[in-house]
Amino acid sequence: MSNPSPTYQTAKGFCLTSAFWMIVGTLMGLIGATELVAPDLTKNIGWLVFGRVRPIHINIVLFGFVTPGLLAAAFYYFPRLLKTELYSERLGVVTVVAWNIALVAVVLTLMLGYTQGREYAELIWPIDVAVIVVFLMVFFNFIMTVKQRTEPVLYVSVWYALAAVILTACTYALGNIVWRPSSGALVGIPDAIILWFYGHNVFGLLLTPLSAGVTYYVIPRSVRAPLYSHTLSLLGFWSLIVVYTHIGTHHLLQVPVPTWLKVIAIVDSVAMVIPVMAFLINIWYTAKGRLGEIHADIGAKFVFTGTIMYFFVSIQGSMMSLPDVQRVTHFNNWVVAHAHIGVLGFAGMIALGGLYYILPKVTGRPLYSRLLADIQYWLVLIVSIGFTVVLTIAGLIQGNGWLNGETVYRILPQIHPYYVTRASLGLILVIGAALGFYNIVRTLFVRSGEAVT
Amino acid sequence: MKMTPKAVVIGSLLVLAAVVFVAVILPYADTNQTVPSEIFRSRVSEEAAGRLIYIQNGCVYCHSQSIRKVDWGLGADRIAQAGDYVEDHPILLGSARTGPDLSQAGGEHPDDWHIAHFINPRYTRPVSIMPAFEFLGMDRVATLTSYVQSLGLKAADRRMERQRFWKQEAIKAYEAGPEANVRWLNENVPQGWRDVPNPYPTTEAGLARGHVIYQNFCLGCHGPVGDGMGPAQPWIYPPPLNFTILKGREVSGGVLYYQIMNGITGTAMPYFKRELESQKIWEVGDYVAVYFINQSDANSEPRGIDAAWEP
Repeated sequence: MSNPSPTYQTAKGFCLTSAFWMIVGTLMGLIGATELVAPDLTKNIGWLVFGRVRPIHINIVLFGFVTPGLLAAAFYYFPRLLKTELYSERLGVVTVVAWNIALVAVVLTLMLGYTQGREYAELIWPIDVAVIVVFLMVFFNFIMTVKQRTEPVLYVSVWYALAAVILTACTYALGNIVWRPSSGALVGIPDAIILWFYGHNVFGLLLTPLSAGVTYYVIPRSVRAPLYSHTLSLLGFWSLIVVYTHIGTHHLLQVPVPTWLKVIAIVDSVAMVIPVMAFLINIWYTAKGRLGEIHADIGAKFVFTGTIMYFFVSIQGSMMSLPDVQRVTHFNNWVVAHAHIGVLGFAGMIALGGLYYILPKVTGRPLYSRLLADIQYWLVLIVSIGFTVVLTIAGLIQGNGWLNGETVYRILPQIHPYYVTRASLGLILVIGAALGFYNIVRTLFVRSGEAVT
Repeated sequence: MKMTPKAVVIGSLLVLAAVVFVAVILPYADTNQTVPSEIFRSRVSEEAAGRLIYIQNGCVYCHSQSIRKVDWGLGADRIAQAGDYVEDHPILLGSARTGPDLSQAGGEHPDDWHIAHFINPRYTRPVSIMPAFEFLGMDRVATLTSYVQSLGLKAADRRMERQRFWKQEAIKAYEAGPEANVRWLNENVPQGWRDVPNPYPTTEAGLARGHVIYQNFCLGCHGPVGDGMGPAQPWIYPPPLNFTILKGREVSGGVLYYQIMNGITGTAMPYFKRELESQKIWEVGDYVAVYFINQSDANSEPRGIDAAWEP
């Protein structure tokens, strides 16, 4: 029953979803950044108050831009790697539509102040249920595709994507306390522990494995070389799931939670070098001596840059879990810098790389504009590094000032210039997102026979 | 190792289950029977309603509620204990301090300061970057205020009691007229401080520094010309002090220093000893004395041993 030309509708749908919500997510970030510079600019517009814009920015970037971008590539590489068709394009398209409806609901509810007030777990119960359902729909489509495969060996990308969607469905339900619809929370210190267990696993069990999956597909394909080591793949995969899941409590080192739990979190945070370096060594040795091939493919270029960012964000993350370091870095913009190099520099870069890698393959045509994609690459790269630099500086000013006995209020004028720079970089990123959206729409919807540049 | 679909899916689910046992279930068993701390009490319904407004508007993204051993600022005198949170549902520890920690914010200021501050934070704190919350309407601003005033629970209640007591005293003094008001203010400053002139000389540079401090800390209430008509004034009672009435009323540099350092509990005048170090307080005091009172005792007797830094 094999269809001679697969349609890749689901992959295309997730491409569009990711490209569109990247504009919304970055725009929300820009609005929030602007409010930190000029708080009365949006004065008395309740639905744009900073405390509502910030969770919209974060949820949309995580679940609107990065996750769909990474899933788009997965919906392309599943049939390719398993030498079969996707189990159901129809189910896939329904998933895309449901996903987008959920994202609209995310924006509207948070703007109106319907929130559970827990960082990364703000969404109200009906949306929580919808999120879990769409993850299960994706998992079902993946596992059924695996079942009908004609290729006996499961490639490492498939492991990561399968584990990411099923484990996230579980931790999402757990972290959002779905059995308590009214509050979505536990009481007291246990609530903080379970919240950060889940919160950190948004990166550990969703963005990181999905990004690894895309990288494991794109890099060997684009350099036309076999993967360096199967053993490293195994080590990286299993150690990621074992180690990453333990470390959420490193967000609570300065809070009265049990010391033994803090010790586990710190030890495992340092142990994160094992999955990180297993993955990176595997990828970098695969690409060794073949960087020209990577440079020639805009998708691979994004992905490879993402792996470099992953190195920095991971080493930094291990270091930040040390109590002595955290005395300076906790509660300030250092952490915001860390989040941006991670979600934009690493996972976001790889999501965009996945999109640009698969677009010519799912449409059967070259990209509408390689130049626009290259411009977007540079804008995203400059902004990722720029965010990291200015927010790290701001964080060091705050952290050291506070340790020295200066109050939060006294430090505000000192970090103002960095906030201005950050907002300016945000504007550049929104422009980059808009260029990417235009490029992707033109690539998907150009009529055949039309001239492409 | 052969990675079959079963190995991947069942295997990773088993790993997750084991980790959940270690990192979620064991800690839950360890912490869910936490005994309430000595400051703990339940919130009344108005405070709980205010907490919902706090959650709806994302206050948690800029304000932590968790004091650490290394902290200095607002509330730093009581380090957080697990027993402070036993009814927090959800817990609102926060992850950033774009604004101050609020664990012990209750009773730091009287209600009228909070109302002015919520209407527009820059009315009371000129360089604040907090959003204005006038859009909530006065009722919800009042409800939110009652939540903020409960932060610290029993410790906040003690502070609120002091606020209420001294507010009555301050209103009595204000309503008795400027002469009586200034006398009351002076009488509440220990004699030693009243006898001390500002030990720093008046210099152009010192006045310029004092000017910046005044703009960043004082202007919202006392106004750009020191007449007590800053933008916060309509919301505050007793109203901010008009400095221009202080001439010839025995307001020494020491009196100004003491009032800026300790604040005047019950009125909207906060204490600034956490925010401003000694020289900054003397210099903003001299700025007020020179420009608004038009009478400064800077660098006058008694001066003791000659200061090394004198020009």
